[in-house]
Amino acid sequence: MLPSSRRNAVVTGLGAVTPLGGDAASSWQALAAGRHAEQPIPSELFSTEGYRAQKAAWAELPPLPELTAKQLGRLSRASRLAIPAAREALASAGLLDTAGRSTQPILPLSLSTTGGGMGFGEQFLRAVLTGKRRGLLGGIARYQPQQQVLDLQTALGISGPSLVVANACASGANALGHAADLVAEGVADCVLAGGFEALTELIFAGFDCLQATTMEKCRPFDLGRSGLLVGEGAAFLVIESEEHARQRGAIALCRIAGYAHTTDFFHLTQPQPEGNALLEVMRKAAARAGVTPGQIGYVNAHGTATPINDGPEANAYRLFFGDDLPLTRISSSKAAIGHTLGAAGAIEAFFAIMALRENRLPPQLNLENPIPEVAAVLAQAHTAEPPARLEHVLSVNLGFGGSNAALLFSRS
Amino acid sequence: MNSHPYRQPLDLAVIGKGAVSPAGVGIAALERTPQPTETPFLDGSGKTWPVLKVDLKDPAFTRWQKEPRLRRASPISLFLIEAAEQALAEAGLSLEERKRTGIVAAFSTGSLVYSRRFFESMIRQGRKAASPALFPETVFNSPLSHVAATLGLGGAAYALVGDETAWIAALKAAWLWLRQGEADQVLVLGAEEFDAVILDTYRAAGWLGRKSSLHPSEGAGAVLVRLARKDDEAVIAAGTDGQVYRNPRQLEAAGKQMLADHPDGTRLLPTASRHWPQKIEEALTSRFHKIGKEAPYLGESFAASASWQTVRALGWREAGTPLLVPVWGSNHQIGLLELK
Repeated sequence: MLPSSRRNAVVTGLGAVTPLGGDAASSWQALAAGRHAEQPIPSELFSTEGYRAQKAAWAELPPLPELTAKQLGRLSRASRLAIPAAREALASAGLLDTAGRSTQPILPLSLSTTGGGMGFGEQFLRAVLTGKRRGLLGGIARYQPQQQVLDLQTALGISGPSLVVANACASGANALGHAADLVAEGVADCVLAGGFEALTELIFAGFDCLQATTMEKCRPFDLGRSGLLVGEGAAFLVIESEEHARQRGAIALCRIAGYAHTTDFFHLTQPQPEGNALLEVMRKAAARAGVTPGQIGYVNAHGTATPINDGPEANAYRLFFGDDLPLTRISSSKAAIGHTLGAAGAIEAFFAIMALRENRLPPQLNLENPIPEVAAVLAQAHTAEPPARLEHVLSVNLGFGGSNAALLFSRS
Repeated sequence: MNSHPYRQPLDLAVIGKGAVSPAGVGIAALERTPQPTETPFLDGSGKTWPVLKVDLKDPAFTRWQKEPRLRRASPISLFLIEAAEQALAEAGLSLEERKRTGIVAAFSTGSLVYSRRFFESMIRQGRKAASPALFPETVFNSPLSHVAATLGLGGAAYALVGDETAWIAALKAAWLWLRQGEADQVLVLGAEEFDAVILDTYRAAGWLGRKSSLHPSEGAGAVLVRLARKDDEAVIAAGTDGQVYRNPRQLEAAGKQMLADHPDGTRLLPTASRHWPQKIEEALTSRFHKIGKEAPYLGESFAASASWQTVRALGWREAGTPLLVPVWGSNHQIGLLELK
C-alpha cells in the first residue's frame, strides 16, 4: 500500500490527436461509434512499395494557424501531433490563455515517445548515405525527442523540468504514471503529461520485417489475428493534486488511483507465455488503488492483434479477474487507431477515462472468433453499455524490452 | 540560500559506482588519457575526425558476450552491463537484494549502431533487406532490458531520453522510486555508443569546425543509489534541471541563474571541456574554486559524459565541503548537481 502521506492525483484536462480525429471529442466519438482509421499510407509520408503491409492508421495534422509556413516546416511530424493535443489538454483544464499559451508559466512535463522526430533522422541518414549534405542541419537538429519537448515548451510558453520516457510501447502509461507520482509525492502540484508518436518509415519497416504487421484486418483478441496495424497520434493529460485543482476551481475528471510498472525478463520482444508480468502489474496497480478486480468495470487492453501478444494478455486477464471476470468488459483500441507505440499508453488511457466519464464501452472491432479466455467479456458494439455503472477502469500496456505498465482510474 | 525554482533536494547516498570509457574499464580508468582514433565520416568523402572509442576487445566484455541476451546486442548494451555490474559489485548486493533494485538509464542517441545499420540496409539493399534481428535492438529501452534481465534487477525500469541533462532526470526518477518504496536501491546509468553517423551529425550541427577540438566518444557510467542515512559519506544532495535555452545568450542567462545562489569559492568541477558551451562555463564559473582542471579529456558522449563527471566528482569530494557539477546539455537545457 502507498504511504498515507501521498496526495491524490486527479486529471483535470484531456487532449488528443488520433487517426480518428483532430481533437479529443472527435477521437472519442469515432471510437465509441465503432469507426476505424485503417487506410493506405500516402506517398507524402513514404512509399510502401516492397513492404508486406500497405496500410496504417495515420492522423490528419491539425492546423497551427499561429505559425508561419516556414515555422511549420521546421516542426517534426511528432511535434505537429503533440502541440495541438497538449494545447487542448491545457484548454480543457482551464489553463490556456486566449493567445494559446499556458497560464502556468512553470509547468513540468512528463512525456513519452519511441521515435521522436525520426522522420528528420531518416531524411538526414538518407542524405548522408547518398552523399548529399546541403541543408541537413535543419532537420537533424530537430530529430531528438528533447526537440519536441522544446517545441512544446515554446508553443505553450512554459518552462520547467521535463522527462521523456522511452520504454517502448508502455512509455505512454509510464509518462502518465510518473506524472501522477510527482504530484502524489509533492514534487509538483501540476504536470502536463502525455505521449506522442509519428508514423515513420523506420518504425513501419521494423514491424513489417518482423512480420508483426497484418496484411488483413487488425483483429485484437481474435483467434484469426494476424498482426498489428501501425498508428500514430498524441494524447495529453493535465494531472494535478486534488487540492491544487480545488483551489483553482478546476473540475476533476477522474482520479489516478493506481499506477504500477514492471519488467518481463522472458524475451526482448515477446511476453512470458502465461502473461505473468502483466498479471503482476495489474495486481500492483489495483492494490495501490485499494480496488478489487471485481470493481474494475472496463479494461482498455494492449491487444496488439499479434499472435504472440494477445494470448498471454488474455490469460493474464483470466487470472487477474478470476471469478469476477464476467463483471468487467475489455477492448483494445488498436483495431481502430492502430498501435501508436510511444503514444499508445497515453491515448488508450484517454479512451479509458472517457469510458469512465461517459459510462460507455469502446467496442472491440473486427472480432469474429474471439480468444476463449476473454470471449465473454470483450466489449461488443451491440452491448456497448457496461453491466454496471463504471467506477474504476484500467488501461494496460506492454512493450519491447518487457516493459509492462498499468494505470487505474477512478471516479473522483 | 538555494532558491532556484527547479532545484530538487535528492539526498541520494552513492553505494556503488561503475564506468566504461575510452580510457578503459572501471572508475580508475577515468583518470587516464585515452587515445583518439581517426574515423571516417559516413558520407564517403574520405575525411576523418579523431574519435575516442571504447576498446571492445577488453576482457571485461568477453563474459558478457557469452550471455544469451547479449550475443547480438550492440556495444551500448555491453557498456551498460559492465558499468552496472561494477556498481553492484562495489555495493556487494546479494541476488535477493538485486530483485529489489530499480534501474533507470539516460540516453541521447541510444542504440545508434543498429539503427543506422538497419536503415542503411534498407536504403542500399532494398526494403526486403530490413533485418528482423536488428530492429528490436534499436529501441531505446532494449539495452536496459538486457541489463535488468541478465543481472536480475527486478525493480522499476525506465529508459529516459534527452541531452546530457537526462542524467539528472534519471537521478530524480531514482529518488522518486526510493521515496515510494518501488525499490530499495536504484542503479542510475548514462550510456552512448559511437557510430560514424555521429560525425556527420556533429558537423551538421557546427560542432566540428576548424577550431574545434571536440572528440566524440562513447561508454557508460553508473551510480547505485539509495536514500541517504545520517552517516553516509557520498551523497548527491540536490539536482536542478529544467533551465531551457534556445540560443547561447539564453544559455548564459540560464547558467547565471542556476549558479546564482552558490557562494564564491564553492568547489566546482568544470564539465564543458572542448564543447561549445565551454566559454560560457568559463565566464560563469570564474568565481568558484575549480577542481579537476587537469583531468584527462574523455570526449563528448552526452549522458555517458554526465555520468562520468558525476563519478569523477564523487572521488574528489572533501569532507564538509559542497561540490558543484554543472551539466551543460548540448541542445535543450542545463542542470546542476550538488554533492556533499
